[in-house]
Amino acid sequence: MRITINKLTVQYTEDDHSLLALDRVDLHLTPGRITALVGESGSGKTTLGKAIMGLLPDNATVQGEILLDQDNLLDFDEARMNAIRWGTVAMVFQNGAANLNPVHRLKYQVAEPLIQRGTPKKRALALAETRLTDMGLAPELADRYPHELSGGQVQRGLLAMGLILDPPVLILDEPTAALDAVTKSFIADVIQDCRAQNRSVLLITHDLDLAGALADEIAVLYLGQVMEYLPGRHLMERPAHPYTLALARAFPTMDAVRDLGGIRGDAFYRMVHAHAAENGTAHVHTHVAAPDAYHEGGHAPPEGCLFKPRCTQAVPACALGQVEMEITPDGDHRVRCIRGGIASILEFEQVAKSYGRVTALHATDLTLMAGEVFCLVGETGSGKTTLAMIAAGAVSPDQGNRIFQGRDMDGWMEKDPDSLAPRIGIIYQNPAESVSHRLTVFEIVAEPLRIHKTVTDEAALKDRVCAALSDVRLSTSPEFLKRYPHELNMGAIQRVCLARALVHEPDLLIADEPTSALDPSVQAKVLKMLLTLQIEKGLTLLFVTHNIGLARKVADLVGVMAGGRIIESGPAARIIHHPDHDYTRTLIRSARGVNPSRPAVSSPL
Amino acid sequence: MQSPARHTWLTLVMAYLAAALILAFLSHSLPRMLPGDFVTAMYGSSDVTLDAQQEAELRAYFQDDSGFAGFLGRLLRLDWGYSYTFLAPVSTLFFDALPWTLVLMGTAHLLSSLLGFVLGVEAAWRRGTRTEKAGVGIMTVLEGIPELCSGALLLLVFALHLGWFPAAGAQTAYADHTFVQQTADRLHHLALPLTTLILAYFPGNFLLARAGMVMVMKSPFVLTARAKGLPPVRVRYAHAARNALLPLVTRFGLRFAFMITGALVVETIFSYPGLGTLLFNAIAMRDLPLIQGIVLAASVMVLGVNLALEYVYTLLDPRVAHAS
Repeated sequence: MRITINKLTVQYTEDDHSLLALDRVDLHLTPGRITALVGESGSGKTTLGKAIMGLLPDNATVQGEILLDQDNLLDFDEARMNAIRWGTVAMVFQNGAANLNPVHRLKYQVAEPLIQRGTPKKRALALAETRLTDMGLAPELADRYPHELSGGQVQRGLLAMGLILDPPVLILDEPTAALDAVTKSFIADVIQDCRAQNRSVLLITHDLDLAGALADEIAVLYLGQVMEYLPGRHLMERPAHPYTLALARAFPTMDAVRDLGGIRGDAFYRMVHAHAAENGTAHVHTHVAAPDAYHEGGHAPPEGCLFKPRCTQAVPACALGQVEMEITPDGDHRVRCIRGGIASILEFEQVAKSYGRVTALHATDLTLMAGEVFCLVGETGSGKTTLAMIAAGAVSPDQGNRIFQGRDMDGWMEKDPDSLAPRIGIIYQNPAESVSHRLTVFEIVAEPLRIHKTVTDEAALKDRVCAALSDVRLSTSPEFLKRYPHELNMGAIQRVCLARALVHEPDLLIADEPTSALDPSVQAKVLKMLLTLQIEKGLTLLFVTHNIGLARKVADLVGVMAGGRIIESGPAARIIHHPDHDYTRTLIRSARGVNPSRPAVSSPL
Repeated sequence: MQSPARHTWLTLVMAYLAAALILAFLSHSLPRMLPGDFVTAMYGSSDVTLDAQQEAELRAYFQDDSGFAGFLGRLLRLDWGYSYTFLAPVSTLFFDALPWTLVLMGTAHLLSSLLGFVLGVEAAWRRGTRTEKAGVGIMTVLEGIPELCSGALLLLVFALHLGWFPAAGAQTAYADHTFVQQTADRLHHLALPLTTLILAYFPGNFLLARAGMVMVMKSPFVLTARAKGLPPVRVRYAHAARNALLPLVTRFGLRFAFMITGALVVETIFSYPGLGTLLFNAIAMRDLPLIQGIVLAASVMVLGVNLALEYVYTLLDPRVAHAS
């Protein structure tokens, strides 16, 4: 049996307002396929599962269609709905043991649906026991009460209970939450068996690893709206929506090498409520707000993209109109994003640069996607800095095109440098040399604003400078603002440089060996701050370093440079664990440090 | 597994025995602190005037100097003493009165608990409807009315004014009834005191059952039970109500502790020949042996009920067995 969900909208009414839990969601559950629903807590995942079961609370208003083959379940009365529950559509609820009645034995609870449908008690209990044994629970465990079972045993029991009537449609709500890896992999096997048994499976989970490994199709839910439909195998490697990317980046997998990054901002709820307008008519509108302070949250426009406030590639147009689902060019994904999914922020087409007879950079193609951290790794003289400076617009290439945010960079620079420059921030290798010793901290940070005449009013200038300084956790006291660089330590100077780079709130930050002049403890602090700012500000970061050990803690993607070429690039995990190129392997091996068991390299002389 | 369990039960029984001993001591010593004595109470209001010597002799006759040890010793020989007022063994008086109280209080308890449970569960299930809201309102008001008040009103209206029910006693005295007639007659006498007690106990049970049920209905396992496609009655009773039962059982046990005092008020109002009336008279007459006997027997009964409840809990909720 298949389930087709069309434009399902669910609102929970509370007093004078309501929560919009699901907003025109489409979803298909097909026999022999696993469909996964992922998203943060509060995105409406569980509501969807309960809606299919007809178990939404009384204050829920439901619109749209939930078709079981041809019949709309929303038209069913309670008795008809009860007749299809468990036998046709079964659900394994989240939170394990709370779903079992504490005063009945596990075996009995598993057998109960059978008994109620007329199977003799003895046979039903025997069947339940068999099911539980199939799930790896010994018969003596079947006789226990829920409080006598571990979390993993309870989850196995719940699965056995869900499958007891052999339902063609199975909904699993967080089946692996809070479980150990071994039980989790057993449950993953059971879910795959369900696919082999031709059931239609809906897997609701925040375990992206599980969803990516099992699901045929994944729907990514945000504030009740599906942001992206994608094939399961693309979830971790090739997400198309910035939200999916952010989710994937926040998830701890065995492959993740970078430190985990959250998603900036918080997910709120969507409120629908009515005001009496001045002319006396009711004014109904939707806005996004925290549940406890929904009037203070301001009235976000009822249209535009919901993810805009947290997105790394938002443009003004994102706030306008209804954002509809679009199929991505490769045809595998559908995204709700007016930019067609994750956009490139910077593209190089055959960009090359020579200094006299020395070719610093051979013709190179490169694409930086918005919101990602791209690390260029390579030894000194490999062309890293040249590439970074060309990307920054500080050096002009001999040939090739640079496209920044969809516009030709050279043309943009000629016509309107003041609007381009603030979008790119730079931090240089040696902090002490990249600041003028004749300027105070205030003047250093204020300089970009003055050069590009972004802010002319002195008071506003001071506000911007102080904001930038507090972003990098530096003092904003008048004494500190009057200090000169030689009065500061290296770590503080680098933070001043970071504040200077961020004072324009750029979209792209280019950091050329930003920490190589710092001692490891200061380096660790500056890096952590840089990554925090990258997430909070939604920056795209081009990070240049010779230290591949550092790169693996920072990068989403790594490009390895040698001899003025990018010889290898790809997801950090792949490059670190399965490098293709010999040079990369050498680089990784050297990064492991001096091996004391290896004989010392003798001098050629 | 066997030995720790037996150990637990043994500890439990020891604890209850200790409690019984303390109760015996209290029921021996507390009534002695009552001001006044039997001689004053007996002859104070009568026409008989005693001279000082007669009074001293009577006092010496009705003086019990045996102390707690003697009291305990007699108890162990099942000798409850001899009532000064009724000139009969305390045990005889007690066991004559007990069945009347048991019938009255037992029925009141059972009916109000059962009714309270079922209606409370059904009310919680229909939460938010007009009937439910009205029910909760009425019950809250009734809960606030003491049985002294409702009893007096019922007596006034249905017995004295309308004359539908007898105003006193447990049966018509000296009547020559067949068994059926006798039963009908006793029920007729029982109606008003029983109604008073049910009015007093039922609202609390109803509110407690409803509140417990409302909490339980929010539990995920109730949603699971619904998802399993079970008939609504089964979801309500086998899954939800079963888990809301525990506080009600506790209340049932606690109410037993008030059995004698509850009976005292109602039985006195309706002159019902139970333990309450007996105790009332005993106190009025400062009949020490009788007071001691009733108080001790009643408190031992409460202990016994509690001990039984400990076992019932483990039957109702397997988690209780693990808690200790």
